[in-house]
Amino acid sequence: MKYSILSEGDEEPMDPVRKNEFDSEACGSIAPKAKPCPRPKPGEAAGGCSFDGAQITLLPIMDAAHLVHGPIACAGNSWESRGTLSSGPSLSQYGFATDLTDSDIIFGGEKKLKDSIDYIAERFAPPAIFVYSTCVTALIGEDMDAVCRAAAERIGIPVIPVNSPGFVGSKNLGNRLAGDALLQYVIGTGEPEPMSPLGVNLIGEYNIAGEMWDIEKLMNSAGITVTSRITGDARYKEITYAHRAKVNMVVCSRALLGLAKEMESRYSIPYFEGSFYGAKETTYSLRQMAFLMNDREMERRVDRLTEREEARLSQDLRPYRKLLKGKRAVLYTGGVKSWSVISALKELGVQVVGVGTNKSTEDDVRRIADRVGDDTEYIPEGGASRIIKTVRERKADIMIAGGRNMYVAMKEQIPFIDINQERHKAYAGYEGLLRLAKELTYSLANPIWKLAASPAPWDKEAPPYDR
Amino acid sequence: MTVNRRKKPASVNPMKIGQSLGAVLALQGCYRAMPLIHGSQGCSAFPKALLTRHFREPIAVQTSALQEMDVIFDANRNLEEALNLVLSKHRPDIIGIIGTELTDVAGVDYQNMLKTYKRERNMRGGLAFSVVLPDFRGSLESGFSSTVEAMIDEMIQQVGHRGSRSVNTRQITLLPGSFLTPADVMELKEIISSFGFEVIALPDISTSLSGHLLTGFSPLTRGGVPLDSMLQSLQSGLTIAIGGSMERPARRLHNALGTPYKVFEGAMGLKASDELLHFLHQISGEPVPLRYCWQRENLLDSMLDAHFQFAGMSALTALEPDHLYSVSGWLEELGVEQKALISSFETPLIAGMEREVWVGDLDDAEVLGKGADLWISNSHGIAGAQRIEAAFMPAGFPVWNELGAYMSVSVGYRGAMEWSNKAGNLLMQREAGHRESSVRHR
Ligand code: SF4
Repeated sequence: MKYSILSEGDEEPMDPVRKNEFDSEACGSIAPKAKPCPRPKPGEAAGGCSFDGAQITLLPIMDAAHLVHGPIACAGNSWESRGTLSSGPSLSQYGFATDLTDSDIIFGGEKKLKDSIDYIAERFAPPAIFVYSTCVTALIGEDMDAVCRAAAERIGIPVIPVNSPGFVGSKNLGNRLAGDALLQYVIGTGEPEPMSPLGVNLIGEYNIAGEMWDIEKLMNSAGITVTSRITGDARYKEITYAHRAKVNMVVCSRALLGLAKEMESRYSIPYFEGSFYGAKETTYSLRQMAFLMNDREMERRVDRLTEREEARLSQDLRPYRKLLKGKRAVLYTGGVKSWSVISALKELGVQVVGVGTNKSTEDDVRRIADRVGDDTEYIPEGGASRIIKTVRERKADIMIAGGRNMYVAMKEQIPFIDINQERHKAYAGYEGLLRLAKELTYSLANPIWKLAASPAPWDKEAPPYDR
Repeated sequence: MTVNRRKKPASVNPMKIGQSLGAVLALQGCYRAMPLIHGSQGCSAFPKALLTRHFREPIAVQTSALQEMDVIFDANRNLEEALNLVLSKHRPDIIGIIGTELTDVAGVDYQNMLKTYKRERNMRGGLAFSVVLPDFRGSLESGFSSTVEAMIDEMIQQVGHRGSRSVNTRQITLLPGSFLTPADVMELKEIISSFGFEVIALPDISTSLSGHLLTGFSPLTRGGVPLDSMLQSLQSGLTIAIGGSMERPARRLHNALGTPYKVFEGAMGLKASDELLHFLHQISGEPVPLRYCWQRENLLDSMLDAHFQFAGMSALTALEPDHLYSVSGWLEELGVEQKALISSFETPLIAGMEREVWVGDLDDAEVLGKGADLWISNSHGIAGAQRIEAAFMPAGFPVWNELGAYMSVSVGYRGAMEWSNKAGNLLMQREAGHRESSVRHR
């Protein structure tokens, strides 16, 4: 079935670029009059490209092959850079690239793409191959869709074009385009095992540092099954039957909200947005799942589970809460939504005195406003200097941000916690909140801050002429 | 010997790195510099993230943030905007504009644009240059050396031909290749200056990416060689280039200013270090400092100690060309069998090597190196090394699975000793692991 949420009835599959249609929704908001994504400012832009965003969304499909069509840098500089973990297959951790050279650019890279697909299919026998366009292949007008279509017929496995070249826009747009590719080529193409119990799709949870596993364990102990992981630690097959799930949960990712909306209208699957950062949000999310599953017994089980977990957690948190109470943090998140992390920090007694809103939609900002005090500073656009300024002015004790700002904080000797894609600690669920509390404490209490701030003994001596 | 390639259409587990990343690296070694990548956002975000991950330092880089329509209609408008902003906001001393495959394929002429820009703004006192580095050619190494070359060109343009040049024979310009760590560059500077020379390293990552708490964070580079030293380097009596890729920039200086140069293709291992020290001894007339005589003894002794460990062992090496050449020379001295040598792209240096070299990726390394005991490559090689059950030794770029990799020394006697011990230890641990598992099986 050819179907695009972008242009109903249109027989053409996704074009590489249809800017006007995307623009209004580029930031993940679906409101018709939402402001378009601002143009990145030359000389001051930060963050990845759409290709990056598309990869983030699809790479956690662990058993698939992910082939990047373009010159080497897009793949060569980016593979193995995410903290998304696998419980089994690791093909998605292979870096595949068509690695175009001068002559490929001149004579066209389609032949090489075709050969690469065949080669990968034959040697690795993956259940599916995702093919990513990049700026150059989009610019020279390669017909990637046609090559993929022909390849799929020839080799008998799905070959999915992901038309998200870097220059169409932000990372968020890339997430969205990846979601569109799933809708168009994957979801609805398979069926689950006849007797398997159906439950919830987790959309936008990428199993960073194994967070997915914590979440799934929680859900299972309340008797809720996960139907499809979209896409943390996913297998290709489970996404093909995502349309059979009873509920969609969009986890902290507005970029994939469109996917949930479309599944609602196409397959009548209700959806909700939730988060697993903080006990409150976790409890809310589990409750919401059970509610939407329309299962009384499940709701009761969730209540019992969340009560028990929350009680245990507050016991475990006691020593950390004491240390963290009144501490001030500046939060600058990238992929992870600020509002949910704010809730988690609040539960630990940490006050958020500054928060980045550069990637937030209006809805997000409203949610942030609901959770912070009046004197919290909003940091609308990037730039490490801007964040540091807020830390200094607001006398923050710690900075919570993505890896790219980690060493910036170190240079300024500011305690730091990594919250983004590259991090190695799982912070989701009740266990995750405890982990976050511990990390905050370790970071703040580390002796290095005092040592680094104290000068060498000879620098402490008063200069002779001062005596 | 010839350079081979395995026939396969796709690159699998690439070790090749975009040229523009090499350019960004080179500019990190200049004080108050800003590399400006003329391309889309991702082309600067990826290198920034990767360099940060390797050096564990903030990395200065900016982008002209091209979007699709900009590429098609007027890419230089973005560049101009970026230049305006960077100049007014950060006042860098040095700006390097790095053209990408995107501007190359779209045929954007930013070199002329930069000329006009400089004329119109009456830009003086700073150094602004551009370099064309599409990713479908070369790799990190070529991007690095081309950038140094472009930088030198611009310096010569600015002051080189201004009347007669006063040559300072006690001053040496050091052109360190891209494969050298900050600690390597520091070591080389120390070695050369211990013979009584002033050394100006170009670029000098030893003072910018080695980790310091100087003055907090800045969007520009902190540390590195300052612009006035760079310009002063044009008076040097001699250029020393480390790595075959640095010969071209050295030749630039020679052609324009007549500065003699000496290229050391490698600086790793006993022989290469001997050569360097002997050369310095000869040109300076100074005796070799006692500490290097000691280090030489130490190295030989540690090689003797280690030779039991290396006997019968084999290694596979997958690195950028110059680095590959260096490491191969060192392995030779250890008596290790060299199962496979894999390079990211072809250069005259590796084409002229006596051993067989393959141009390829880490998947080729896995196939060609099957059965090797030691695997030497960047951190992307970890999984492959596990699959063929070789001890994994991180080297090159990027290395993220080890703290302080960027501070390890490979040059001079000290470097050879450090590497020999490290490799020997890895093999020893692997052997111990094997022994343990064979005991358990009884
Ligand atoms: S911006 Fe384009 S060329 Fe650059 S990394 Fe992204 S996809 Fe590749």
